[in-house]
Amino acid sequence: MKKKQLGLLLAVPGLMLAISAQAHSDKEHMGKAENPDCAAMSTMDHSKMDMKDPVVMAMMQQCMSTMQHGSTEAESKAHGEQMTNTGKAGDHMQAPSQ
Amino acid sequence: MIAIKKGSCFKRLLVMAGAAVIGGVAFLYSGLYSMGADDPHYDVTTWALETLRESSIVRASQDIEVPSDLSSAERLLKGGADYNDMCAGCHLKPGKSQSDFTLGLYPSPPNLAVISRLDENETSIDQRNFWIIKHGIKASGMPAWAPGHDDTRIWNMVSFLKRLPDLTPAQYQILTARGKSDVVHH
Repeated sequence: MKKKQLGLLLAVPGLMLAISAQAHSDKEHMGKAENPDCAAMSTMDHSKMDMKDPVVMAMMQQCMSTMQHGSTEAESKAHGEQMTNTGKAGDHMQAPSQ
Repeated sequence: MIAIKKGSCFKRLLVMAGAAVIGGVAFLYSGLYSMGADDPHYDVTTWALETLRESSIVRASQDIEVPSDLSSAERLLKGGADYNDMCAGCHLKPGKSQSDFTLGLYPSPPNLAVISRLDENETSIDQRNFWIIKHGIKASGMPAWAPGHDDTRIWNMVSFLKRLPDLTPAQYQILTARGKSDVVHH
């Protein structure tokens, strides 16, 4: 009986401590997470950007997926135009899904 | 004769000190001092409290070791997201000049998006910022973030503070957003 009480006395504060330690974890904020406005990067003057500046590097890192997607999209667009020009677009291009 | 004079002088000083202590305690219990945050201190009180605060922080933070990678992009990103969640409400962000907290808190929290302490030693600024974030400041509204936040996380915020005054609102938004970048899939 005493062991049970002792276990309970240790378990409750332990649980409270674990809950409080998680109170400010990164994941807690993910629910209300705002997405980076990477479109704003295109309006910035790239000639004035120092690519070794940690701020620029951090922004690139944040917007990596958008930029990669953008370049892939641009490449496929260019490829599509090329195919259209040669009259073979229908052979290679898939219909865009809705 | 001189010994008698010295004795009476000492007694007078003792009586005056006793009266000052009793007067001080009576003032504390009288409730006459205004504790409202909208009623500023006298200049001399502000001076005394600020001097006490600054001297204490300098002394307590002088031996803190500053990490060498404080300006890394990774630290900026991690610290930026935490700053936005935990600090921007009081210490503001680029493009914002006031909030309910800056208007109502006393002393008013400093606007860290515009403050740039170029005239001071960079290491001491980093040590100071780390200490304040970790331990907080008594009776100022600044909490100690040490419970629930390890040193690495606090250093990340210090890293972000170093660059915060240089950021535009657009750069701030990108650096502090926790979500993934918007990618429209077709």
